Amino acid sequence: MKLSVASKILDANDRIAHENRRLFSAAGVFVINLMSSPGAGKTSLLEATIAGLKRSLNIGVIEGDITGTDDAERINRLGVPVVQINTGGACHLDANMINEVLLDLPLDEMDLLVIENVGNLVCPAEFKIGEDLKVMILSIAEGHDKPLKYPLMFQESSALIINKMDLRPFLDVDVGKIRNDALSLNPSIKIFELSCKTGEGVEQWITWLQTLNS
Amino acid sequence: MHEVSVADSLLKIAVDECRRSGYGRINSIRVCIGKASGVMPEALFFAFEALKAGTIASGATLAIEKVPVAGHCSACNADFTTDESFVLCCPLCHSSDYSIHSGRELDIKELEVD
Repeated sequence: MKLSVASKILDANDRIAHENRRLFSAAGVFVINLMSSPGAGKTSLLEATIAGLKRSLNIGVIEGDITGTDDAERINRLGVPVVQINTGGACHLDANMINEVLLDLPLDEMDLLVIENVGNLVCPAEFKIGEDLKVMILSIAEGHDKPLKYPLMFQESSALIINKMDLRPFLDVDVGKIRNDALSLNPSIKIFELSCKTGEGVEQWITWLQTLNS
Repeated sequence: MHEVSVADSLLKIAVDECRRSGYGRINSIRVCIGKASGVMPEALFFAFEALKAGTIASGATLAIEKVPVAGHCSACNADFTTDESFVLCCPLCHSSDYSIHSGRELDIKELEVD
């Protein structure tokens, strides 16, 4: 006997993501899904962003890692609410993992929630978690070939942060190629060049975030 | 590694659908996987074989239909299909004024059940 199904395989995840989104909207929280490879600077960007926005916005953070609490401890020191998710091996966050920790955050008191995904340039791009937009970081030490090697994340992201620009004199990296290839994959992607270490360029990113929240 | 999540989801959908229709065994599952979905068919087969044990789909085969990336170019006003997984410009006129309308599918289409 043949049964016609016609269902999306990730429908269960998408339904929970939709529910998360509804809860975030009801609480008036704008949500960013922050993605990059390991070590590109997600937590450093968060620290710089919190420092720049803490006075004007109430920020909360969800940290996603396979194991450990180092990142949550770094954020906790800045005095903003933070929840650590340990995926126990999974290479990305999914909508259900987010749904399970929502009660641990004071959503009604928050304006902006940043969800730091597991460091991975592939799988996080494929799972909706209830975000308003996806933002990715590429550090220039990773090389200029990454947009064409990992195209999905560049296509899915609304903004690309090119980090560690302070290392430019020491690297044979073509930042123009990163920009051009990212724009070919996603003509509407917003690109920021900055260094979380020196703080150069961080202000433009923060100004853009403020326009999204206003 | 997310092929495991995909295999797990598709098995759950198939088992639910089979039971809801009053049947007790799944013989085959047909899915459509877009070439730009990021899912590797080989890894999906592997995960499916590992996860199906002990379910009513333990004897089921998985049939994967690959869907090519297709889109429309506004510059040359033509529809296109490509063998590539990702498109950087219209393959016909090389304009960047294009939109993609298929190739990201992850759909379960049909079950054969007893």
